Amino acid sequence: MKKNNAGYPKDLYLPLKAKILDVVAMTSDVKLFRLEKPEGFHYSPGQFIMVSVWGAGEVPISIASTPGIHDVMDVCIRKVGHVTSVLHELKHGDHLWIRGPLGNGFPFEDASGRDMLFVAGGIGIAPLRSLVNFVVNRKDKFGKIALIYGSRNPSEVLFMKDVLFWIEKGVEVTLTIDVKCDGWEHCAGLVTEHLDKQKISFKTGYSYICGPHVMISASMRDLSLMGMPAENIITTIEAHMKCGVGKCGHCYIDGKYVCTDGPIFSYAEIKKIGIAGP
Amino acid sequence: MTDYHVLYKRHLSYWLRQLRRNADLIGPLRSLEGDIIFSSIENIHEIELDCPASIPSPKEFIFPQKEEMYRFSDKGVAILSNSRKRIIFGVRSCDISSIALLDRFYGGLYEDNFYVNRRKNTVFISIACNNPDPTCFCLGLGTGPFLDAGFDIQLTDIGDRYLVQVGSCEGNNSIKGLKHIFMRPQKTDYDEQYEANLSSQSRFEKRITLDNVRQKMLEGRVDDSFWESVALRCFECGGCVYECPLCTCFNVVDWKESEDRGVRMRIWDTCMFKGFTKMAGNVLPAGKKILRTKRWYFHKLLYYPEQFGKFGCVGCGRCTITCPGRIDMATIANKLD
Amino acid sequence: MAGLASAFGSGAMTNSISEISDARVVFVIGSNTTEQHPMIGMHMLDAVDKGATLIVADPRRTQIAKFAQIHLSHKSGTDVALLNGIMNVIINEGLVDIPFVKRRTENFDEFEKIVKEYSPGVAEKITGVPASEIKRVARIYAAEKRSMLFYSMGITQHITGVDNVRSCANLVMLTAHIGQPMSGLNPLRGQNNVQGACDMGALPDVFSGYQRVSDPKARRKFGHAWGKKLPAGAGMTMIEMFDAARAGGIKAMYIMGENPVISDPDTSRLIEAVNKLDFLVVQDIFMSDTAELADVVLPAVTFAEKDGTFTNTERRVQKIRKIIRPLYGALPDWKIISELSKRLGYDMQYRGPHEIMEEIALLTPSYGGILHHRLDRFGLQWPCPDINHEGTPFLHRKKFAKGLGTFNPVEFIPPAENVDEEYPFILTTGRLYFRYHTGTMCKRTSTLEREEPECFVEINPKDADKLGIKTRSRVKVRSRRGEITVNTLVTDKTPEGIVFIPFHFREAAVNLITNPAVDPVAKIPEFKVCAVSIAPVMQNPGERQKSCYDRKNDIKALLELYEEPKA
Repeated sequence: MKKNNAGYPKDLYLPLKAKILDVVAMTSDVKLFRLEKPEGFHYSPGQFIMVSVWGAGEVPISIASTPGIHDVMDVCIRKVGHVTSVLHELKHGDHLWIRGPLGNGFPFEDASGRDMLFVAGGIGIAPLRSLVNFVVNRKDKFGKIALIYGSRNPSEVLFMKDVLFWIEKGVEVTLTIDVKCDGWEHCAGLVTEHLDKQKISFKTGYSYICGPHVMISASMRDLSLMGMPAENIITTIEAHMKCGVGKCGHCYIDGKYVCTDGPIFSYAEIKKIGIAGP
Repeated sequence: MTDYHVLYKRHLSYWLRQLRRNADLIGPLRSLEGDIIFSSIENIHEIELDCPASIPSPKEFIFPQKEEMYRFSDKGVAILSNSRKRIIFGVRSCDISSIALLDRFYGGLYEDNFYVNRRKNTVFISIACNNPDPTCFCLGLGTGPFLDAGFDIQLTDIGDRYLVQVGSCEGNNSIKGLKHIFMRPQKTDYDEQYEANLSSQSRFEKRITLDNVRQKMLEGRVDDSFWESVALRCFECGGCVYECPLCTCFNVVDWKESEDRGVRMRIWDTCMFKGFTKMAGNVLPAGKKILRTKRWYFHKLLYYPEQFGKFGCVGCGRCTITCPGRIDMATIANKLD
Repeated sequence: MAGLASAFGSGAMTNSISEISDARVVFVIGSNTTEQHPMIGMHMLDAVDKGATLIVADPRRTQIAKFAQIHLSHKSGTDVALLNGIMNVIINEGLVDIPFVKRRTENFDEFEKIVKEYSPGVAEKITGVPASEIKRVARIYAAEKRSMLFYSMGITQHITGVDNVRSCANLVMLTAHIGQPMSGLNPLRGQNNVQGACDMGALPDVFSGYQRVSDPKARRKFGHAWGKKLPAGAGMTMIEMFDAARAGGIKAMYIMGENPVISDPDTSRLIEAVNKLDFLVVQDIFMSDTAELADVVLPAVTFAEKDGTFTNTERRVQKIRKIIRPLYGALPDWKIISELSKRLGYDMQYRGPHEIMEEIALLTPSYGGILHHRLDRFGLQWPCPDINHEGTPFLHRKKFAKGLGTFNPVEFIPPAENVDEEYPFILTTGRLYFRYHTGTMCKRTSTLEREEPECFVEINPKDADKLGIKTRSRVKVRSRRGEITVNTLVTDKTPEGIVFIPFHFREAAVNLITNPAVDPVAKIPEFKVCAVSIAPVMQNPGERQKSCYDRKNDIKALLELYEEPKA
């Protein structure tokens, strides 16, 4: 587990100013913000930042870009509450304030040489994009790479450009939407319906799951039943957070702080601390 | 290190006046309605020297209920820090024990600069409890009524004088140059302190045992129906959390004074509220009261020991005093054991 | 209060809060006590712990109901039938305290005639509570000497509100459960100083201390003290005033510390009335929804910025003290009124609230000995007639305030609206723990606002199944007056056939659909019963649920939907 306290030794809660280089409206309620990376800001896939607007508040957002590949930093923000609504009003050239990177990040060292399965649902593709790009860039170090990406409907599919790039690079991609509709030539149904069609080794492979809570728990359970070791099933846990550094207590679940002990947990850990159950 | 001195009670106000020269002096006062509250001392003779537990606990001086962190405007952001020197007099042993744990919680890898800043400017002078309240149960937790270490200065009332134990550099600074009132103790002084300690220990009305609690919780041997019965009596007022000297949760709020400026502050928060864990889109991971009650006790009695080696309760009894549903930490702990 | 006044001669809690824990029977009707009066709920739980029997009558399974040995889940609006049924049993089984009834009450025979008709069987048919339970409650309540009866808005906010209160009064007189410690009738007031406001004559027909305006002696006394001749006629109630405004009879209005735009029934009619006014003044501590419609807003100070007194539900007059400096421009209420009065040509000369208190003591017999300097520690409970009096912990000891207690025969009248094919559910409204009234204050507290940001409708799982809805699905709740769209909360707290909506929310103002029918005497609107239909709002597959979290959603926009009243 990596802990990172770099960037602001003086003040734990003071965010840094970051310039917005570009804003892309991805769907009706999701926008991609491309930020100038502050100096000395080093992160790894799966880590998150606290994005803050003075006067509105702070929200935890996972980083969607990949260190070493992107010079800028991408964050994908869905409009769900007060702060994100204010964020959605910002335009390129504006500034927002960020704090981080926070959290442990995806473990991928142990997966070298193994097959990898990525399971994404909705905006869950954002943190996985960071890791998939990272892995695709070092493809020779890993086994087969597969991705199942589920969306509600065709208009909500995010990062299509990246997906096409991954296909080109040899990633087995399964795109699926909830209900089949005209003009959609990919699969339909929930992501869990496509798990067993993946041509990877479940016994030794690793899976990385990111999406809505229900999807995560169903996928974890199914993969485990298919024989994947619980330690190899990796997911991120979403929680209410205010500080991101294990102090405010909002994300505290059964002895673990999601912000500092997570947000990435393996199914084995989740079962142990009992946070999987509905 | 512990240095021993003797201070005659008639010299106490002289000493406190000396201390007040360089710092704010805070101590327990009795309000018109009879409540004990820690507050700035105007008249030293108003200090309550032998009084029941204060509500709220003195944690508010190092972790205030509302702490302004940053002031923002269109021109930029300023860090608001408080580095007033303070001496808090008349603190109880349990509260000293809780502060030792708070120091570890707010310190560590991610050091909370706001807490640390207040803490390093605060000296605590505690009075060992000769007369525990009927709601106290620190004895079973090893957090009182007398402490062996962890204090800056501990006073023990032995008749017309105090036995003074100095346990830190800050404590030492507080008696520096006052040799004429801090005298060398005699053997009888030590004996009397020992007697006072023994007699205090015999006066506890509440006793708790916690030998098996952790094991039972860990193995899931506590039935949910037990937590159901606790949750049923919970009115969700959050009082237990606000008054607990060890509860550290806070919420961060931006307060706009006008369109272009305002303050970011943190305020105490409580995990007894269902909105505490609420996620985007109104998803409530701990929507049921039983989950929240259970979590509080699990944190205090199981995870705290795992993380810090000590129970997350110092036996001050404030949650019991505050609870309108009469939920009692000691009773629960005993039932669990 | 009208109901209690006609029975006893004064309206307030007859016991003290500290007596509750020693009661043997605690009978709670129409009050969600542990949530809405937690400190009183605490004493009730203490009583239960000491072995008292707790009886709760409430259609919903509230938290206090979970502690009750007997929970009567009667249909909303059938309180009179339930109480008459209980009294029928008491009379038939010879549990009446005959000496008390003979010596201290009147009109028993008239009352008995009516009650005779409500056998437990009849009551069961109306209320849905089994006859055996009614009998059991009657026996337990009557047999024990230390029985306390509590009620709150669940009793008063009906068209039969006064009747409901009279029934409660009948019950306590029948069993002589009054005039003793730990034995009495206790209305729980909904706000910190409602009791004080009523005591001070903030009602259309009384001066302070419930001295009637129609009484020439009282009029002369006050007229003399104020140097003015005072009108003899009673004023209007709030609902009547808004009706008059709509009809053009009232041209100007001055609203203090109220937010009727959210709190009163049938919001659209109310706003219509406000818009007809030539001049509206609102005095409040924050810019409330009503204040936004005002021509002049007078900023008042909060409780922490002023000196004065509050009178709580147990008649205890308590001193409040200024602890923070008021914001610039805000004044205490008494100062605003004095200044206004001065400019209107009547010079009010008070140097502080203590001088006003002296005037109150002079003119109000029950406050005769209540002066600021006597209130320092725990305050005083009225009646406190003179400066040496220690206050009165319980009322009506030797005789009722009006002399003899009066039995008021009360017939059951069904709620103004009943369910039918089109509107098959009974809607009842109420409060939430984390919200206070219309949210003028608590909406500004981030933690409280976080707890309940959205309006919802509580519905029983069986009803939800029939409609094919789950928790958090969107539904339209429609009444004969309008409709609102809210999320559902499926819970067995609410019984079948009844739905519950909290009234605090501006975004889904339930009072757009509640019934403005009022009690004929007290003019309290029927917030607690109204017939509604519920229909799920269809969503396209794959479409995300829209949050009703939208602050810009303005009342006016809401109103456009209801331009043509459907009733």
